[in-house]
Amino acid sequence: MMISLKRMNAILQKDFKDFSRNYAVSIVIVIPILLAAFWGRMGADSIDMHYMLINMTFGMVAAFVQCCLIAEEKEKNTLRGLMLSPASTADILGGKSLLTFIITMVVVFFSAYLAEYKPANVAVIVVAIVLSSFFYIALGTLLGLYSKSVLEASVIVMPVIVIFSFGSFIAVAAEKYPILQAANYLPNLQLIELAAKVEAGAGFGDVLVEFAIILGWVIASIFLTVVIYRKRMVD
Amino acid sequence: MENIIEVSSLAKVFANQTAIESVDFHVKKGEIFGFLGPSGSGKTTTIKILTGQLTPTSGTAKVFGESVSLLKKAEYRRRFGVLTDNSGLYGRLSIYDNLKLYCDLYDVAYSKIDEVLDAVNLKQEKAKKVSALSKGMTQRVTLARALIHEPELLFLDEPTSALDPTNSLHIHEGLRALNEKGTTIFLTTHDMYEAEVLCDRVAFLNKGQIQLLDTPDKLKKSYSDSTITVELTNGEKVILPAGSEGANRLFEYMNTNQVETIHTNEPTLGDIFVQVTGRKLA
Ligand SMILES: Nc1ncnc2c1ncn2[C@@H]1O[C@H](COP(=O)(O)OP(=O)(O)O)[C@@H](O)[C@H]1O
Ligand SMILES: [Mg+2]
Repeated sequence: MMISLKRMNAILQKDFKDFSRNYAVSIVIVIPILLAAFWGRMGADSIDMHYMLINMTFGMVAAFVQCCLIAEEKEKNTLRGLMLSPASTADILGGKSLLTFIITMVVVFFSAYLAEYKPANVAVIVVAIVLSSFFYIALGTLLGLYSKSVLEASVIVMPVIVIFSFGSFIAVAAEKYPILQAANYLPNLQLIELAAKVEAGAGFGDVLVEFAIILGWVIASIFLTVVIYRKRMVD
Repeated sequence: MENIIEVSSLAKVFANQTAIESVDFHVKKGEIFGFLGPSGSGKTTTIKILTGQLTPTSGTAKVFGESVSLLKKAEYRRRFGVLTDNSGLYGRLSIYDNLKLYCDLYDVAYSKIDEVLDAVNLKQEKAKKVSALSKGMTQRVTLARALIHEPELLFLDEPTSALDPTNSLHIHEGLRALNEKGTTIFLTTHDMYEAEVLCDRVAFLNKGQIQLLDTPDKLKKSYSDSTITVELTNGEKVILPAGSEGANRLFEYMNTNQVETIHTNEPTLGDIFVQVTGRKLA
């Protein structure tokens, strides 16, 4: 498939202007930052705390913002115009994901800074966070493609925010209820696991399993998104 | 002459509704082809099939000599432009920014923006936010967007439905100029006047079928009852047959200075539509 940087950049520019004027959606980016500043002051610095914040950012920013952006393109019939243009599926989905990706990274960076999270191995954590964000953006795209309006989108994305933000509670519950053991394979819990190992001195080679599981989620979610998108191209 | 659109036995059935059943027609390269029909007759459905937005239930539809399923390819998409009621714009962005995006998507220089805005009479308005525009202005921006890459083939679904007569006229002039430069236009309308002034050929669509297809001129001639109406100075209107008997009576009226006006009685496309389908257009 052909990728055109010019087209992706055009979609990014357009989304940036649109997003900066769309206060109803753009307001969510301040929530994780405010929480981070608050927790930083309280001196909360366990890995679980930091990753509740990071996973919340993934849910509220990566998934929610992306879901609303895609749903609005559908609701306002602008996605149709993109689809009918020479832009490829990769141009459109990539272009539509770029803004969310940049915002997510900025918010994660600032909230980690404010919450005073200093990973023992920054390189491993950066790769893990970038990789994880792809999963949430794909998930947001998928939910956006399913919803008919921004309103519907903002409702169906809620459970995602809750499930993924409060991952550490699921992990605790899983100790009591073995049926929840499977939840340990969720990308948010794998990320926490990975981060904990990094704090204990792990390098890239020690967290390959966690990386592989997160990568599996990323590939599966992107694949599903492209399939659904292609289906939506013809009514 | 080469056909740019070829449709045969085309049908589209939705879950519980037949939108079009067995439609056949072709559009020649360089013509303005009008699809005339009341609302619900299947005009939009046909355009959606021809632009690859809907898959037909049966039959074949070819555009540029290829099956419409191939329109997914970028090389074909570059060659046509579409305006339908589901062509949306970005409301929070200005007219200019909306068109700028499309310049990038189609690899067109930004200098084209002023040119197309001129064609739709919106050059002065280009900094305005789209959400603040009237319905007619929005429709003109959408039209400008469909033209921006100078497509070979333009699909216009009721392009002037929200416009006032002055703007419609301006758009008609623009479309004719575009057509003279070589763009083939496939246009749907329920405005018989628009079809008459703009189209080289028109098809009457009713209940998902084409009931008549010809040039507006030939249609009007073949449905004309060959009479003329003479309005006399005393206010009386007399209908005369076109033959020698009518000529003699007309000579008599003229000779005695009784004639106020003379009209030939050719039907409008709207009249013919009612006669053929038993339905009104609008
Ligand atoms: N997505 C759809 N699902 C079900 N029925 C549809 C759909 N789109 C159009 N129709 C039906 O098909 C018929 C033709 O519609 P349409 O092509 O929009 O007509 P027009 O554009 O001439 O007004 C109508 O009866 C309409 O209700
Ligand atoms: Mg219609």
